[in-house]
Amino acid sequence: MRPNDCKFLKSHEWCKIENGIATIGITDYAVSHLSDLVFLDLPNKGASVTFGESFGEIESVKAVSSLYSPVSGEVIDSNKNLPDNLEWLSQEPFGKAWMLKVKVTAKSPDLLEGAAYDAHCKAEG
Amino acid sequence: MAFDAALLELAATPTLRLYGWQPHAVSLGWFQHAADFADLPAGTQVVRRLTGGGAIHHGDELTFSLAIDAAALPTDVAASYRLLHDAIVSALHAVGVPCRRLDAGEHCGARPAQRWCFAEPGRDDIVTERGKLLGSAQRRIRTPRARVLHHGSLVLERPPLTPFVAAVADHLPTDPALRAALRENLVQRLADALCLPWHADRPTTAELARAEELAPGYREPANIARR
Repeated sequence: MRPNDCKFLKSHEWCKIENGIATIGITDYAVSHLSDLVFLDLPNKGASVTFGESFGEIESVKAVSSLYSPVSGEVIDSNKNLPDNLEWLSQEPFGKAWMLKVKVTAKSPDLLEGAAYDAHCKAEG
Repeated sequence: MAFDAALLELAATPTLRLYGWQPHAVSLGWFQHAADFADLPAGTQVVRRLTGGGAIHHGDELTFSLAIDAAALPTDVAASYRLLHDAIVSALHAVGVPCRRLDAGEHCGARPAQRWCFAEPGRDDIVTERGKLLGSAQRRIRTPRARVLHHGSLVLERPPLTPFVAAVADHLPTDPALRAALRENLVQRLADALCLPWHADRPTTAELARAEELAPGYREPANIARR
C-alpha cells in the first residue's frame, strides 16, 4: 500500500512534505519496473534541486534512469546508506529507502494525489 | 556517444542508428570508474557511454542505437529487452548465426560483478555456445519527454582486449555480403517488432549541432575520469 500522505510525479518519484521539509524517494512501481538495481547517485547535502529536473540517477542491470525532483529547494539530508543497501528500495520504498530531505521553496504543479497516481500506473501497465 | 545523446534528446521520430568504430575504442558504462581501467594498453582510446553496464572494447562490430519514445516500448525494462533481443535473434538466425536469448529461469548473473560487459552473460542476453554475442544497455529519461536510448554492440570479430566474447566470425566469414545482410535484417526485424515502417534518412542539422555541443562530455579525459 502506498502511504496516503504522499504525493507523486508521473515519473514515479514520491514526496511527503512536513513543516516545509520534503522527503523524496521513488515508488514501488518504479522499483518493480527497473529490475535488479546496481548503482545509485544522489546529490550531497547543501546541493540545490529544482522541481521537474533531474536530481540523481539509478542504474539497474539493464538501464540508467534519471530521477526527477518533485520540489525545488536545498538538500538538507541525503540517505548516504542507501547506495550500499539498494535492496531497501524493494523492501521499504516509502520508508528506509528515502533518498533526500529538501527544504522546500517551490513544489511541482504536476504532483498527483495517490488515486491519480494509481490510475497513472495502471495506464502505463 | 554524443550523437546518440543528441538523438535521445531531439529525434522527432523513432531513430535507429547503425555505426562502427574508428579508431577502435573502449567505452565505459555511465557509472564505471575510469581508475578501474588504468591497466589498459597505452594509447587505448576511451570514451564515456551514456548508457549503463560494463565496459566494451569496440573493435570490428556492428553497433546500433535506438532512440525512441518510452511509450513505444514496454514500461518494464526487462520486457523491453525481450522484445528487442528477440528481434535481433531473429535477424541473426536469418543470416545463419546460431544464438539464443538467455531465459529468465536459467542460471545467469542478475548483478554483474565483472568490469567488462561481455564477461558475464546475464538474463535476456544474446549468447552463442561460446559466450555473449551482443552487449546492450539503456538510458531512460522523463523530460522533456519520456524517452529511451537502447544501445547494442554486436561482435563481428573478437576484439583483443576481450578475448572471451562470442563473435559472428565464429560461425561465418564476415565478408561485405554478410555485413550488408546483417544490417538489413537487423533494421527490418527491429522495425517489425516495433510495428513501425522504416526509411533511410540523414541526421538533422539540429541533431548534428547538439552532438557537437555534447561531445566534450564523452571524449575529454577529464570528463571521462569524473567518476
